[in-house]
Formats: sequence, structure tokens, C-alpha cells
Amino acid sequence: MALRVGCVAAPGRALENKTGGWRVFKPVFDPENCTKCGMCAMVCPEGCVRETEEGTFEPDLDYCKGCGICVEICPKKGIRMEKEEK
Amino acid sequence: MRELRIHGRGGQGSVTAAELIAYAAFEGGVFSQAFPAFGVERRGAPVQAFVRFSDEKVRLRSQIYEPDYIIVQDPTLIGDVDVFNGMKAGGIAIVNTEKSDFDSGVPEGVKVYTIDATTIALEELGVPITNTTLMGAFAAATGEIELEPLEHALRSRFSGSMADKNVRAAERAYNLIGGAA
Repeated sequence: MALRVGCVAAPGRALENKTGGWRVFKPVFDPENCTKCGMCAMVCPEGCVRETEEGTFEPDLDYCKGCGICVEICPKKGIRMEKEEK
Repeated sequence: MRELRIHGRGGQGSVTAAELIAYAAFEGGVFSQAFPAFGVERRGAPVQAFVRFSDEKVRLRSQIYEPDYIIVQDPTLIGDVDVFNGMKAGGIAIVNTEKSDFDSGVPEGVKVYTIDATTIALEELGVPITNTTLMGAFAAATGEIELEPLEHALRSRFSGSMADKNVRAAERAYNLIGGAA
């Protein structure tokens, strides 16, 4: 992202910086097991876990850095980490 | 003088790899120099580190713009950073990728070695930190450093079982690339 003099950027530009390439493991959500408690969305440091229309949750893999905190917090153990090919 | 540029992400140990490669090269009898690019150093951000090898004292202090060798620790960097920028013809690139048919953006005359260092690092170390594995691959692909000084360098940095694990990871990569080269 190019910055102008004074380093002032238009708001919302961080969305251009897709951080999904950082991860080694990606979270795989199992909606069958989901109680819709929303803890995964609450703890996600990237804020990339979104509620779906059914009220379950899914990650935005464009931004997920693969930290695995959602896996740790999920009370139903309904999320697992899977190695990604790259 | 031969020059190496290491591309990685913060936390993958690019700077450590540069230091240890320089250490191993020096022990092998050449002059060497290692230093990082000063920029963002947070986890995940693209980083660079540099190594120079020479039969004479290295007086140059600039960053490396025309490397003979590059190491790419993470193939997803290739979209963000022009990793092959300025590479000399006849250069050698070592790319950490699972794809054996990797060829995105490789300039003509550059030989590419691919190695699935992430899997080796996960199996040997338990963490996806690929620097020591790629050092083994670098040693085998370029011949700039031998396995024995590399092991000394690793043991000077790590101790106990961590040293053994890193040496094993480097040896596995060395044998894998050495068999292919």
C-alpha cells in the first residue's frame, strides 16, 4: 500500500492487506456441532469469523492468520485445524 | 563474491538462517557477512535477510539487489514481493512449496529447487519454522556450506534436544536435495 506525504491513508484500506497467506493451518468449522454460542467470533483477533444466515459461524480465509484460538475456545470442539497446501 | 537473499515472513527465522549460514560459511574457510533488511519485523510481515560469501574480506555494506541465490521461505510471498528481482543468470532459487511443478515467475536461467520444508519442519520440530530445514537445502543445492559446519552453527545457536531436532531437519533437507541435484 503506497502512502502519501504525511502517511495519511483513506479509511478502510487495511482490507486490501489480505493476511490469509500467513497461515500454515486453516480452521475448518463443523456447523453440525455448532451451538451458535459465538465464542469463536468473539475471540478471533482478526475479527474474521462471521455469522452465517443459519446462525452458525465461518471464517473469512482471506484474512484468517491460522492462529487457532477459535479451536481452543470452541466448547463443542467443533473446529479443527487442517494443514493447507501452498 | 556470492550473494544470498532470504525472503520470509516475520517469525520464520530468516534472520537467524542468514546468521547461521554466514557462521557455517566462515567456519568453512570463506569470509562471510549476514544482516537483515530493516523494515517491518512483526510476525507474518514480509522480511528479508542477506548473506555475502567471499574469498576476500567483504567491504560492501549495502543490501543485496542482484543475488546469486535466493531462499523463499513461503510461496505465498511471491504474489506480494518480487522475490526473483535482480537475480543473476545461472542463479539458484530454493523455494519452500509443496508443489513439485512450481514455476510461477521464475526468470530464465535460474535453477529452482523446491522442497516441502514446512512438512519436514512440522515432523522434526513440531512447529512450522522452516529456516533450519531450508539451510540444509541451501547447503546441498549450492555447495556454499558443508553439512558439518552447518551442524556446528546449529549447535552453537540451539541446545539440547532442540539442537538435535534442527540438525535432523537440516540433514533431511540436505539429503533430499542432494539426492535430486
